Amino acid sequence: MQALLSYDQSPPLYAPMRFFLTAPCFGMLAGLLVLWSGWSGSDVELNASRWTPVVLALTHLVTVGIMLQVMLGAVIQIMPVLAGANMVKPMRLARVVHALISLGALTLTAAFLSSSPLLFKLAALLLGLGIAYFVGSAVYALYGIPSSSPSIRDLKIAILGLSVTVGLGATLAITLGGSLGLPSSTLADIHLGWGFVAWGTILLAAVAYVVVPMFQLTPAYPDWFGRWYSVSLLVVVLLWTIAEYCSWNLVSLVLGVGVVSGSALFAGITLKIQRHTKRAHFDATQHYWRGAMLSALAACGLWLAARTVPLLADWPVWPLVFGVLVLFGGFVSVIFGMLYKIVPFLIWLHLQQQGQGRVMAPNMKKVIAERAMNGQLLAHFASCLLLLLALMWPNEFDYPAGLALVAANAWLLRNLLAGLSVYRGHLRKIESVFSGAIRR
Amino acid sequence: MESIRELMAEKHRRCDDYFVTAERAVASANWDKASAEFEKFRDAMSRHFDVEENILFPAFEAHTGVFMGPTQVMRGEHKQLRELMSVAEAALAARDADDYSGTAETLLIMLQQHNMKEENVLYPMCDQHLAEHLDVLLPQLKNELIS
Repeated sequence: MQALLSYDQSPPLYAPMRFFLTAPCFGMLAGLLVLWSGWSGSDVELNASRWTPVVLALTHLVTVGIMLQVMLGAVIQIMPVLAGANMVKPMRLARVVHALISLGALTLTAAFLSSSPLLFKLAALLLGLGIAYFVGSAVYALYGIPSSSPSIRDLKIAILGLSVTVGLGATLAITLGGSLGLPSSTLADIHLGWGFVAWGTILLAAVAYVVVPMFQLTPAYPDWFGRWYSVSLLVVVLLWTIAEYCSWNLVSLVLGVGVVSGSALFAGITLKIQRHTKRAHFDATQHYWRGAMLSALAACGLWLAARTVPLLADWPVWPLVFGVLVLFGGFVSVIFGMLYKIVPFLIWLHLQQQGQGRVMAPNMKKVIAERAMNGQLLAHFASCLLLLLALMWPNEFDYPAGLALVAANAWLLRNLLAGLSVYRGHLRKIESVFSGAIRR
Repeated sequence: MESIRELMAEKHRRCDDYFVTAERAVASANWDKASAEFEKFRDAMSRHFDVEENILFPAFEAHTGVFMGPTQVMRGEHKQLRELMSVAEAALAARDADDYSGTAETLLIMLQQHNMKEENVLYPMCDQHLAEHLDVLLPQLKNELIS
Protein backbone atom coordinates (compact mmCIF):
# COMPACT_ATOMS: atom_id res chain seq x y z
CA MET A 1 0.00 0.00 0.00
CA GLN A 2 2.95 2.30 0.59
CA ALA A 3 3.75 2.15 -3.12
CA LEU A 4 0.14 2.67 -4.00
CA LEU A 5 -0.19 5.89 -2.06
CA SER A 6 3.12 7.52 -2.87
CA TYR A 7 3.20 6.51 -6.48
CA ASP A 8 3.83 9.87 -8.08
CA GLN A 9 6.76 11.24 -6.19
CA SER A 10 9.35 11.89 -8.80
CA PRO A 11 12.43 12.90 -6.74
CA PRO A 12 13.57 16.56 -6.92
CA LEU A 13 15.64 17.41 -10.01
CA TYR A 14 18.88 17.85 -8.12
CA ALA A 15 18.64 14.39 -6.53
CA PRO A 16 19.74 12.57 -9.71
CA MET A 17 21.38 15.61 -11.35
CA ARG A 18 24.20 15.84 -8.81
CA PHE A 19 25.29 12.32 -9.79
CA PHE A 20 24.98 13.06 -13.51
CA LEU A 21 27.03 16.27 -13.29
CA THR A 22 29.80 14.64 -11.26
CA ALA A 23 30.34 11.75 -13.70
CA PRO A 24 31.98 13.79 -16.51
CA CYS A 25 34.24 15.44 -13.89
CA PHE A 26 35.62 12.01 -13.07
CA GLY A 27 35.89 11.36 -16.81
CA MET A 28 38.06 14.46 -17.12
CA LEU A 29 40.18 13.29 -14.18
CA ALA A 30 40.66 9.96 -15.98
CA GLY A 31 41.87 11.89 -19.04
CA LEU A 32 44.27 13.91 -16.91
CA LEU A 33 45.60 10.71 -15.37
CA VAL A 34 46.29 9.33 -18.86
CA LEU A 35 48.10 12.56 -19.75
CA TRP A 36 50.08 12.57 -16.53
CA SER A 37 51.08 8.93 -16.41
CA GLY A 38 51.50 7.73 -19.97
CA TRP A 39 49.46 4.81 -18.59
CA SER A 40 49.45 2.46 -21.49
CA GLY A 41 53.14 2.11 -22.29
CA SER A 42 55.99 1.76 -19.84
CA ASP A 43 53.94 0.35 -16.99
CA VAL A 44 52.72 -2.59 -19.01
CA GLU A 45 56.11 -3.45 -20.43
CA LEU A 46 57.62 -3.32 -16.99
CA ASN A 47 54.96 -5.33 -15.23
CA ALA A 48 53.34 -7.27 -18.04
CA SER A 49 50.17 -7.06 -16.00
CA ARG A 50 46.86 -5.27 -15.79
CA TRP A 51 47.36 -4.69 -12.07
CA THR A 52 49.54 -1.61 -12.21
CA PRO A 53 48.60 1.21 -9.83
CA VAL A 54 47.82 3.61 -12.68
CA VAL A 55 45.63 1.09 -14.51
CA LEU A 56 43.75 0.30 -11.29
CA ALA A 57 43.32 4.00 -10.52
CA LEU A 58 42.05 4.67 -14.04
CA THR A 59 39.69 1.68 -13.92
CA HIS A 60 38.13 2.92 -10.69
CA LEU A 61 37.85 6.50 -11.92
CA VAL A 62 35.66 5.02 -14.65
CA THR A 63 33.77 2.35 -12.70
CA VAL A 64 33.20 4.26 -9.46
CA GLY A 65 33.59 7.83 -10.73
CA ILE A 66 31.49 7.63 -13.90
CA MET A 67 29.50 4.38 -13.96
CA LEU A 68 28.49 4.04 -10.32
CA GLN A 69 27.61 7.75 -10.09
CA VAL A 70 25.22 7.70 -13.02
CA MET A 71 23.81 4.26 -12.24
CA LEU A 72 22.89 5.23 -8.67
CA GLY A 73 21.42 8.57 -9.78
CA ALA A 74 19.39 6.78 -12.43
CA VAL A 75 18.17 4.06 -10.05
CA ILE A 76 16.93 6.71 -7.58
CA GLN A 77 15.04 8.22 -10.49
CA ILE A 78 13.63 5.08 -12.11
CA MET A 79 12.53 3.12 -9.03
CA PRO A 80 9.17 4.95 -8.77
CA VAL A 81 8.53 4.65 -12.52
CA LEU A 82 9.70 1.08 -12.98
CA ALA A 83 8.47 -0.49 -9.77
CA GLY A 84 6.26 2.08 -8.02
CA ALA A 85 8.88 2.02 -5.24
CA ASN A 86 9.85 5.29 -3.60
CA MET A 87 13.02 5.79 -1.64
CA VAL A 88 12.49 7.51 1.72
CA LYS A 89 13.74 11.14 1.73
CA PRO A 90 15.33 10.95 -1.72
CA MET A 91 17.06 14.32 -1.45
CA ARG A 92 18.87 13.43 1.77
CA LEU A 93 19.73 10.01 0.35
CA ALA A 94 21.11 11.58 -2.84
CA ARG A 95 23.16 14.17 -0.94
CA VAL A 96 24.74 11.71 1.47
CA VAL A 97 25.34 8.88 -1.01
CA HIS A 98 26.71 11.28 -3.61
CA ALA A 99 29.12 12.88 -1.13
CA LEU A 100 30.32 9.51 0.20
CA ILE A 101 30.90 7.84 -3.16
CA SER A 102 32.50 10.93 -4.72
CA LEU A 103 34.94 11.27 -1.83
CA GLY A 104 35.36 7.49 -1.88
CA ALA A 105 36.26 7.47 -5.58
CA LEU A 106 38.84 10.24 -5.08
CA THR A 107 40.32 8.54 -2.03
CA LEU A 108 40.48 5.18 -3.81
CA THR A 109 42.28 6.76 -6.79
CA ALA A 110 44.76 8.41 -4.44
CA ALA A 111 45.18 5.09 -2.59
CA PHE A 112 46.12 3.23 -5.78
CA LEU A 113 48.54 5.94 -6.86
CA SER A 114 50.20 6.27 -3.45
CA SER A 115 49.80 2.65 -2.17
CA SER A 116 48.85 4.17 1.17
CA PRO A 117 47.20 1.60 3.51
CA LEU A 118 45.39 4.38 5.35
CA LEU A 119 43.84 5.74 2.16
CA PHE A 120 42.70 2.24 1.14
CA LYS A 121 40.95 1.81 4.47
CA LEU A 122 39.39 5.26 4.23
CA ALA A 123 38.17 4.55 0.69
CA ALA A 124 36.66 1.23 1.82
CA LEU A 125 34.89 3.03 4.66
CA LEU A 126 33.50 5.87 2.49
CA LEU A 127 32.34 3.64 -0.37
CA GLY A 128 31.09 0.94 1.97
CA LEU A 129 28.99 3.42 3.97
CA GLY A 130 27.64 5.14 0.86
CA ILE A 131 26.59 1.90 -0.79
CA ALA A 132 25.22 0.43 2.44
CA TYR A 133 22.96 3.48 2.84
CA PHE A 134 21.88 3.27 -0.79
CA VAL A 135 21.25 -0.49 -0.75
CA GLY A 136 19.42 -0.25 2.59
CA SER A 137 17.08 2.42 1.19
CA ALA A 138 16.54 0.50 -2.05
CA VAL A 139 15.75 -2.75 -0.25
CA TYR A 140 13.33 -0.94 2.08
CA ALA A 141 11.61 0.71 -0.90
CA LEU A 142 11.37 -2.57 -2.82
CA TYR A 143 10.26 -4.61 0.19
CA GLY A 144 6.89 -6.18 -0.45
CA ILE A 145 6.78 -5.07 -4.09
CA PRO A 146 6.07 -8.15 -6.22
CA SER A 147 8.39 -8.87 -9.16
CA SER A 148 5.54 -8.46 -11.62
CA SER A 149 7.87 -7.73 -14.54
CA PRO A 150 11.37 -8.94 -15.47
CA SER A 151 12.66 -5.40 -14.95
CA ILE A 152 11.58 -5.24 -11.30
CA ARG A 153 13.07 -8.67 -10.54
CA ASP A 154 16.31 -7.79 -12.35
CA LEU A 155 16.59 -4.50 -10.49
CA LYS A 156 16.54 -6.53 -7.26
CA ILE A 157 19.19 -8.93 -8.62
CA ALA A 158 21.36 -6.01 -9.74
CA ILE A 159 21.20 -4.46 -6.27
CA LEU A 160 22.41 -7.79 -4.86
CA GLY A 161 25.21 -7.69 -7.48
CA LEU A 162 26.16 -4.17 -6.40
CA SER A 163 26.29 -5.21 -2.74
CA VAL A 164 28.58 -8.17 -3.47
CA THR A 165 30.81 -6.08 -5.77
CA VAL A 166 31.30 -3.33 -3.22
CA GLY A 167 31.62 -5.81 -0.33
CA LEU A 168 34.42 -7.60 -2.18
CA GLY A 169 35.96 -4.29 -3.21
CA ALA A 170 36.04 -3.09 0.39
CA THR A 171 37.57 -6.41 1.49
CA LEU A 172 40.24 -6.03 -1.20
CA ALA A 173 40.97 -2.46 -0.18
CA ILE A 174 41.39 -3.52 3.45
CA THR A 175 43.62 -6.41 2.28
CA LEU A 176 45.72 -3.94 0.29
CA GLY A 177 45.73 -1.81 3.41
CA GLY A 178 47.61 -4.69 5.00
CA SER A 179 45.04 -5.92 7.49
CA LEU A 180 43.84 -9.17 5.94
CA GLY A 181 45.82 -12.00 4.44
CA LEU A 182 43.41 -13.05 1.68
CA PRO A 183 44.28 -14.25 -1.86
CA SER A 184 43.84 -10.85 -3.45
CA SER A 185 44.19 -11.71 -7.15
CA THR A 186 41.42 -14.33 -6.97
CA LEU A 187 39.24 -11.93 -4.99
CA ALA A 188 39.99 -9.20 -7.52
CA ASP A 189 38.81 -11.44 -10.39
CA ILE A 190 35.61 -12.25 -8.51
CA HIS A 191 35.07 -8.56 -7.66
CA LEU A 192 35.50 -7.73 -11.35
CA GLY A 193 33.13 -10.51 -12.47
CA TRP A 194 30.38 -9.37 -10.09
CA GLY A 195 30.86 -5.70 -10.98
CA PHE A 196 30.82 -6.18 -14.76
CA VAL A 197 28.17 -8.88 -14.91
CA ALA A 198 25.97 -9.25 -11.80
CA TRP A 199 25.71 -5.49 -11.23
CA GLY A 200 26.58 -3.81 -14.55
CA THR A 201 25.17 -6.13 -17.19
CA ILE A 202 22.10 -7.19 -15.21
CA LEU A 203 21.20 -3.58 -14.34
CA LEU A 204 21.68 -2.70 -17.99
CA ALA A 205 19.45 -5.61 -19.01
CA ALA A 206 16.77 -4.52 -16.50
CA VAL A 207 16.80 -1.05 -18.00
CA ALA A 208 17.18 -2.21 -21.60
CA TYR A 209 14.04 -4.42 -21.60
CA VAL A 210 12.12 -1.27 -20.94
CA VAL A 211 13.94 1.60 -22.59
CA VAL A 212 15.14 0.04 -25.85
CA PRO A 213 11.71 -1.06 -27.10
CA MET A 214 9.89 1.92 -25.63
CA PHE A 215 12.10 4.83 -26.60
CA GLN A 216 13.61 3.45 -29.77
CA LEU A 217 10.31 1.79 -30.78
CA THR A 218 11.88 -1.55 -31.57
CA PRO A 219 10.30 -5.00 -31.21
CA ALA A 220 10.35 -6.28 -27.60
CA TYR A 221 13.16 -8.51 -26.34
CA PRO A 222 12.15 -12.19 -26.77
CA ASP A 223 9.98 -13.53 -23.92
CA TRP A 224 12.46 -16.23 -22.93
CA PHE A 225 15.15 -13.59 -22.69
CA GLY A 226 13.19 -11.47 -20.23
CA ARG A 227 12.19 -14.51 -18.23
CA TRP A 228 15.50 -16.34 -17.97
CA TYR A 229 18.40 -14.08 -18.87
CA SER A 230 19.32 -12.36 -15.64
CA VAL A 231 18.47 -15.27 -13.36
CA SER A 232 20.61 -17.64 -15.47
CA LEU A 233 23.44 -15.15 -15.63
CA LEU A 234 23.35 -14.72 -11.85
CA VAL A 235 23.43 -18.50 -11.31
CA VAL A 236 26.41 -18.89 -13.68
CA VAL A 237 28.25 -16.02 -11.94
CA LEU A 238 27.59 -17.67 -8.56
CA LEU A 239 28.90 -21.06 -9.72
CA TRP A 240 31.90 -19.41 -11.41
CA THR A 241 32.65 -17.60 -8.15
CA ILE A 242 32.76 -20.88 -6.23
CA ALA A 243 34.96 -22.54 -8.88
CA GLU A 244 37.26 -19.54 -9.03
CA TYR A 245 37.59 -19.35 -5.25
CA CYS A 246 38.32 -23.07 -4.98
CA SER A 247 40.81 -22.87 -7.90
CA TRP A 248 38.95 -25.51 -9.94
CA ASN A 249 40.61 -24.10 -13.02
CA LEU A 250 38.86 -26.06 -15.75
CA VAL A 251 35.38 -25.65 -14.24
CA SER A 252 36.08 -21.97 -13.70
CA LEU A 253 37.16 -21.57 -17.33
CA VAL A 254 34.03 -23.27 -18.66
CA LEU A 255 31.77 -21.14 -16.43
CA GLY A 256 33.77 -18.02 -17.34
CA VAL A 257 33.05 -18.77 -21.01
CA GLY A 258 29.38 -19.02 -20.01
CA VAL A 259 29.42 -15.63 -18.30
CA VAL A 260 31.15 -13.89 -21.21
CA SER A 261 28.95 -15.58 -23.83
CA GLY A 262 25.92 -14.54 -21.80
CA SER A 263 27.03 -10.92 -21.90
CA ALA A 264 27.64 -11.19 -25.65
CA LEU A 265 24.14 -12.61 -26.08
CA PHE A 266 22.63 -9.49 -24.52
CA ALA A 267 24.67 -7.25 -26.84
CA GLY A 268 23.76 -9.36 -29.87
CA ILE A 269 20.01 -9.39 -29.17
CA THR A 270 20.01 -5.64 -28.48
CA LEU A 271 21.72 -4.98 -31.82
CA LYS A 272 19.26 -7.28 -33.57
CA ILE A 273 16.11 -5.63 -32.23
CA GLN A 274 17.63 -2.18 -32.71
CA ARG A 275 17.90 -2.89 -36.45
CA HIS A 276 14.11 -3.02 -36.54
CA THR A 277 13.52 0.38 -34.94
CA LYS A 278 10.46 2.18 -36.27
CA ARG A 279 11.84 5.66 -35.50
CA ALA A 280 12.43 7.84 -38.54
CA HIS A 281 15.97 8.87 -37.50
CA PHE A 282 18.76 7.30 -35.44
CA ASP A 283 19.53 9.85 -32.71
CA ALA A 284 22.57 10.26 -30.42
CA THR A 285 21.17 7.85 -27.83
CA GLN A 286 20.60 5.12 -30.41
CA HIS A 287 24.08 5.62 -31.88
CA TYR A 288 25.49 5.38 -28.36
CA TRP A 289 23.63 2.14 -27.71
CA ARG A 290 24.73 0.61 -31.00
CA GLY A 291 28.37 1.64 -30.51
CA ALA A 292 28.27 0.24 -26.97
CA MET A 293 26.86 -3.12 -28.02
CA LEU A 294 29.40 -3.47 -30.85
CA SER A 295 32.21 -2.64 -28.44
CA ALA A 296 30.88 -5.16 -25.90
CA LEU A 297 30.72 -7.85 -28.59
CA ALA A 298 34.32 -7.08 -29.60
CA ALA A 299 35.38 -7.32 -25.93
CA CYS A 300 33.66 -10.69 -25.47
CA GLY A 301 35.21 -11.95 -28.72
CA LEU A 302 38.64 -10.86 -27.53
CA TRP A 303 38.19 -12.56 -24.15
CA LEU A 304 37.14 -15.83 -25.76
CA ALA A 305 39.97 -15.62 -28.31
CA ALA A 306 42.54 -14.99 -25.56
CA ARG A 307 41.38 -18.20 -23.88
CA THR A 308 41.90 -20.26 -27.06
CA VAL A 309 44.71 -18.62 -29.07
CA PRO A 310 48.03 -18.97 -27.18
CA LEU A 311 49.68 -16.16 -29.15
CA LEU A 312 46.97 -13.73 -28.04
CA ALA A 313 47.01 -15.05 -24.47
CA ASP A 314 50.71 -14.18 -24.28
CA TRP A 315 50.13 -10.62 -25.46
CA PRO A 316 50.37 -8.61 -22.20
CA VAL A 317 48.21 -5.80 -23.48
CA TRP A 318 45.04 -7.79 -24.27
CA PRO A 319 43.44 -7.33 -20.82
CA LEU A 320 43.82 -3.57 -21.24
CA VAL A 321 42.25 -3.68 -24.71
CA PHE A 322 39.42 -5.71 -23.15
CA GLY A 323 39.06 -3.12 -20.38
CA VAL A 324 38.88 -0.19 -22.81
CA LEU A 325 36.29 -2.00 -24.95
CA VAL A 326 34.10 -2.96 -21.97
CA LEU A 327 34.39 0.19 -19.89
CA PHE A 328 34.85 3.13 -22.26
CA GLY A 329 33.34 1.60 -25.40
CA GLY A 330 30.58 -0.37 -23.66
CA PHE A 331 29.28 0.85 -20.31
CA VAL A 332 30.32 4.51 -20.57
CA SER A 333 28.79 4.79 -24.07
CA VAL A 334 25.40 3.45 -22.93
CA ILE A 335 25.52 5.69 -19.89
CA PHE A 336 26.25 8.85 -21.90
CA GLY A 337 23.54 7.88 -24.37
CA MET A 338 21.02 7.43 -21.57
CA LEU A 339 21.94 10.79 -20.02
CA TYR A 340 20.89 12.43 -23.30
CA LYS A 341 17.38 11.08 -22.82
CA ILE A 342 17.09 11.28 -19.04
CA VAL A 343 18.39 14.81 -18.45
CA PRO A 344 16.39 16.72 -21.10
CA PHE A 345 13.27 14.79 -20.13
CA LEU A 346 13.66 15.43 -16.40
CA ILE A 347 14.25 19.13 -17.00
CA TRP A 348 11.19 19.31 -19.23
CA LEU A 349 9.12 17.38 -16.67
CA HIS A 350 10.09 19.58 -13.73
CA LEU A 351 9.49 22.78 -15.74
CA GLN A 352 6.16 21.47 -16.96
CA GLN A 353 5.07 20.71 -13.41
CA GLN A 354 6.20 24.10 -12.13
CA GLY A 355 4.51 25.89 -15.04
CA GLN A 356 1.21 24.22 -14.02
CA GLY A 357 -0.05 24.21 -17.58
CA ARG A 358 0.11 28.02 -17.81
CA VAL A 359 3.72 28.28 -18.98
CA MET A 360 4.68 25.62 -21.50
CA ALA A 361 8.12 24.06 -20.93
CA PRO A 362 10.67 24.10 -23.78
CA ASN A 363 10.70 20.74 -25.58
CA MET A 364 13.57 18.29 -25.00
CA LYS A 365 15.54 19.33 -28.07
CA LYS A 366 15.51 22.91 -26.83
CA VAL A 367 16.98 21.78 -23.49
CA ILE A 368 20.05 20.14 -25.03
CA ALA A 369 20.52 20.80 -28.75
CA GLU A 370 20.79 17.79 -31.04
CA ARG A 371 23.93 19.12 -32.70
CA ALA A 372 25.73 19.44 -29.37
CA MET A 373 24.86 15.84 -28.46
CA ASN A 374 25.96 14.52 -31.86
CA GLY A 375 29.28 16.38 -31.64
CA GLN A 376 29.97 15.03 -28.17
CA LEU A 377 29.10 11.53 -29.38
CA LEU A 378 31.82 11.75 -32.03
CA ALA A 379 34.31 13.09 -29.48
CA HIS A 380 33.56 10.17 -27.15
CA PHE A 381 34.03 7.48 -29.79
CA ALA A 382 37.19 9.23 -31.01
CA SER A 383 38.55 9.06 -27.45
CA CYS A 384 37.76 5.31 -27.29
CA LEU A 385 39.60 4.73 -30.57
CA LEU A 386 42.60 6.79 -29.44
CA LEU A 387 42.76 4.89 -26.14
CA LEU A 388 42.95 1.63 -28.11
CA LEU A 389 45.63 3.06 -30.42
CA ALA A 390 47.59 4.24 -27.37
CA LEU A 391 47.75 0.63 -26.21
CA MET A 392 49.50 -0.34 -29.46
CA TRP A 393 51.59 2.77 -29.98
CA PRO A 394 51.92 4.53 -26.61
CA ASN A 395 54.49 7.10 -27.66
CA GLU A 396 52.36 8.44 -30.48
CA PHE A 397 48.91 8.16 -28.96
CA ASP A 398 49.06 8.60 -25.17
CA TYR A 399 48.71 12.37 -25.33
CA PRO A 400 46.03 12.50 -28.01
CA ALA A 401 44.07 9.82 -26.08
CA GLY A 402 44.29 11.71 -22.78
CA LEU A 403 43.33 14.99 -24.44
CA ALA A 404 40.41 13.37 -26.26
CA LEU A 405 39.15 11.86 -23.02
CA VAL A 406 39.27 15.24 -21.27
CA ALA A 407 37.59 16.92 -24.25
CA ALA A 408 34.75 14.38 -24.62
CA ASN A 409 33.91 14.59 -20.91
CA ALA A 410 34.21 18.37 -20.77
CA TRP A 411 31.83 18.52 -23.74
CA LEU A 412 29.34 16.28 -21.95
CA LEU A 413 29.54 18.47 -18.85
CA ARG A 414 28.98 21.53 -20.99
CA ASN A 415 25.92 19.96 -22.62
CA LEU A 416 24.45 19.02 -19.23
CA LEU A 417 25.16 22.50 -17.84
CA ALA A 418 23.55 24.07 -20.92
CA GLY A 419 20.44 22.05 -20.08
CA LEU A 420 20.54 23.29 -16.50
CA SER A 421 20.89 26.87 -17.64
CA VAL A 422 17.76 26.45 -19.80
CA TYR A 423 16.09 25.09 -16.65
CA ARG A 424 17.08 28.08 -14.51
CA GLY A 425 16.18 30.62 -17.21
CA HIS A 426 12.77 29.08 -17.68
CA LEU A 427 12.15 28.90 -13.93
CA ARG A 428 12.68 32.67 -13.76
CA LYS A 429 10.14 33.07 -16.55
CA ILE A 430 7.62 30.96 -14.64
CA GLU A 431 8.23 32.96 -11.46
CA SER A 432 7.71 36.27 -13.25
CA VAL A 433 4.47 35.06 -14.85
CA PHE A 434 3.15 33.86 -11.50
CA SER A 435 4.22 36.96 -9.55
CA GLY A 436 2.67 39.10 -12.32
CA ALA A 437 -0.54 37.16 -11.89
CA ILE A 438 -0.48 37.77 -8.13
CA ARG A 439 0.08 41.53 -8.64
CA ARG A 440 -2.85 41.71 -11.00
CA MET B 1 -9.28 -14.90 -19.68
CA GLU B 2 -7.52 -11.79 -20.89
CA SER B 3 -6.33 -9.35 -18.24
CA ILE B 4 -6.78 -5.59 -18.06
CA ARG B 5 -3.03 -5.30 -18.34
CA GLU B 6 -2.90 -7.29 -21.59
CA LEU B 7 -5.81 -5.47 -23.17
CA MET B 8 -4.66 -1.97 -22.29
CA ALA B 9 -0.97 -2.62 -23.09
CA GLU B 10 -1.97 -3.90 -26.50
CA LYS B 11 -3.86 -0.63 -27.10
CA HIS B 12 -0.77 1.34 -26.02
CA ARG B 13 1.27 -0.42 -28.72
CA ARG B 14 -1.42 0.38 -31.30
CA CYS B 15 -1.13 4.08 -30.45
CA ASP B 16 2.67 3.84 -30.83
CA ASP B 17 2.14 2.64 -34.40
CA TYR B 18 0.11 5.72 -35.28
CA PHE B 19 2.81 7.90 -33.73
CA VAL B 20 5.50 6.25 -35.83
CA THR B 21 3.59 6.64 -39.09
CA ALA B 22 3.16 10.37 -38.39
CA GLU B 23 6.86 10.74 -37.53
CA ARG B 24 7.90 9.03 -40.76
CA ALA B 25 5.59 11.24 -42.79
CA VAL B 26 7.19 14.35 -41.23
CA ALA B 27 10.65 12.96 -41.98
CA SER B 28 9.71 12.68 -45.66
CA ALA B 29 8.03 16.14 -45.56
CA ASN B 30 4.65 14.64 -46.41
CA TRP B 31 2.73 17.10 -44.27
CA ASP B 32 -0.80 16.16 -45.27
CA LYS B 33 -0.21 12.52 -44.46
CA ALA B 34 1.54 13.52 -41.21
CA SER B 35 -1.46 15.58 -40.10
CA ALA B 36 -3.88 12.80 -40.99
CA GLU B 37 -1.84 10.18 -39.13
CA PHE B 38 -1.30 12.39 -36.12
CA GLU B 39 -5.05 12.92 -35.94
CA LYS B 40 -5.53 9.15 -35.75
CA PHE B 41 -2.92 9.00 -32.98
CA ARG B 42 -4.54 11.82 -31.03
CA ASP B 43 -8.03 10.35 -31.40
CA ALA B 44 -6.91 6.90 -30.24
CA MET B 45 -5.02 8.41 -27.30
CA SER B 46 -7.88 10.67 -26.27
CA ARG B 47 -10.33 7.79 -26.35
CA HIS B 48 -7.92 5.67 -24.31
CA PHE B 49 -7.63 8.42 -21.67
CA ASP B 50 -11.42 8.92 -21.60
CA VAL B 51 -12.06 5.20 -21.12
CA GLU B 52 -9.58 5.09 -18.26
CA GLU B 53 -10.90 8.23 -16.59
CA ASN B 54 -14.58 7.35 -16.99
CA ILE B 55 -14.66 3.56 -16.59
CA LEU B 56 -11.47 1.94 -15.30
CA PHE B 57 -10.27 4.47 -12.73
CA PRO B 58 -13.68 5.00 -11.10
CA ALA B 59 -14.06 1.21 -10.79
CA PHE B 60 -10.65 0.97 -9.13
CA GLU B 61 -11.37 3.93 -6.85
CA ALA B 62 -14.79 2.62 -5.82
CA HIS B 63 -13.35 -0.79 -5.02
CA THR B 64 -10.22 0.27 -3.14
CA GLY B 65 -11.45 3.53 -1.63
CA VAL B 66 -8.20 5.12 -2.84
CA PHE B 67 -9.12 8.31 -4.68
CA MET B 68 -5.98 10.42 -4.36
CA GLY B 69 -3.47 7.68 -5.27
CA PRO B 70 -2.20 6.43 -8.62
CA THR B 71 -5.39 7.18 -10.54
CA GLN B 72 -5.09 10.83 -9.62
CA VAL B 73 -1.47 10.91 -10.76
CA MET B 74 -2.45 9.28 -14.06
CA ARG B 75 -5.18 11.89 -14.59
CA GLY B 76 -2.54 14.60 -14.11
CA GLU B 77 -0.27 12.94 -16.67
CA HIS B 78 -3.15 12.61 -19.14
CA LYS B 79 -3.56 16.37 -18.90
CA GLN B 80 0.13 16.92 -19.66
CA LEU B 81 -0.03 14.50 -22.58
CA ARG B 82 -3.11 16.22 -24.01
CA GLU B 83 -1.23 19.54 -23.85
CA LEU B 84 1.80 18.06 -25.62
CA MET B 85 -0.44 16.63 -28.34
CA SER B 86 -1.91 20.12 -28.93
CA VAL B 87 1.58 21.64 -29.21
CA ALA B 88 2.65 18.91 -31.66
CA GLU B 89 -0.50 19.49 -33.67
CA ALA B 90 0.23 23.22 -33.84
CA ALA B 91 3.78 22.48 -35.05
CA LEU B 92 2.34 20.22 -37.76
CA ALA B 93 -0.11 22.91 -38.83
CA ALA B 94 2.77 25.40 -39.04
CA ARG B 95 4.87 22.78 -40.88
CA ASP B 96 7.70 23.38 -38.44
CA ALA B 97 9.74 20.15 -38.57
CA ASP B 98 12.17 21.14 -35.76
CA ASP B 99 9.44 22.13 -33.36
CA TYR B 100 7.46 19.01 -34.21
CA SER B 101 10.46 16.74 -33.74
CA GLY B 102 11.37 18.22 -30.32
CA THR B 103 7.77 18.10 -29.11
CA ALA B 104 7.23 14.60 -30.50
CA GLU B 105 10.36 13.36 -28.72
CA THR B 106 9.13 14.83 -25.43
CA LEU B 107 5.64 13.44 -26.03
CA LEU B 108 7.04 9.99 -26.76
CA ILE B 109 9.11 9.81 -23.57
CA MET B 110 6.33 11.26 -21.42
CA LEU B 111 3.92 8.79 -22.96
CA GLN B 112 6.19 5.78 -22.60
CA GLN B 113 7.05 6.41 -18.97
CA HIS B 114 3.33 6.96 -18.32
CA ASN B 115 2.51 3.66 -20.07
CA MET B 116 5.25 1.95 -18.06
CA LYS B 117 3.71 3.06 -14.76
CA GLU B 118 0.29 1.88 -15.88
CA GLU B 119 1.47 -1.44 -17.26
CA ASN B 120 3.86 -2.27 -14.42
CA VAL B 121 1.94 -0.92 -11.47
CA LEU B 122 -1.61 0.33 -11.99
CA TYR B 123 -3.03 -2.32 -14.37
CA PRO B 124 -1.71 -5.23 -12.27
CA MET B 125 -3.38 -3.55 -9.25
CA CYS B 126 -6.62 -3.26 -11.24
CA ASP B 127 -6.39 -6.93 -12.26
CA GLN B 128 -5.91 -7.87 -8.63
CA HIS B 129 -8.56 -5.65 -7.05
CA LEU B 130 -11.17 -5.94 -9.79
CA ALA B 131 -10.76 -9.68 -10.45
CA GLU B 132 -14.41 -10.41 -9.69
CA HIS B 133 -15.68 -7.74 -12.08
CA LEU B 134 -13.49 -8.56 -15.09
CA ASP B 135 -16.23 -10.40 -16.99
CA VAL B 136 -18.29 -7.20 -17.08
CA LEU B 137 -15.46 -4.68 -17.16
CA LEU B 138 -13.34 -6.12 -19.99
CA PRO B 139 -16.11 -6.18 -22.64
CA GLN B 140 -17.06 -2.65 -21.57
CA LEU B 141 -13.48 -1.41 -22.03
CA LYS B 142 -13.14 -3.20 -25.37
CA ASN B 143 -16.38 -1.73 -26.59
CA GLU B 144 -15.33 1.82 -25.83
CA LEU B 145 -11.72 1.70 -27.05
CA ILE B 146 -10.80 2.40 -30.65
CA SER B 147 -9.72 -0.93 -32.12
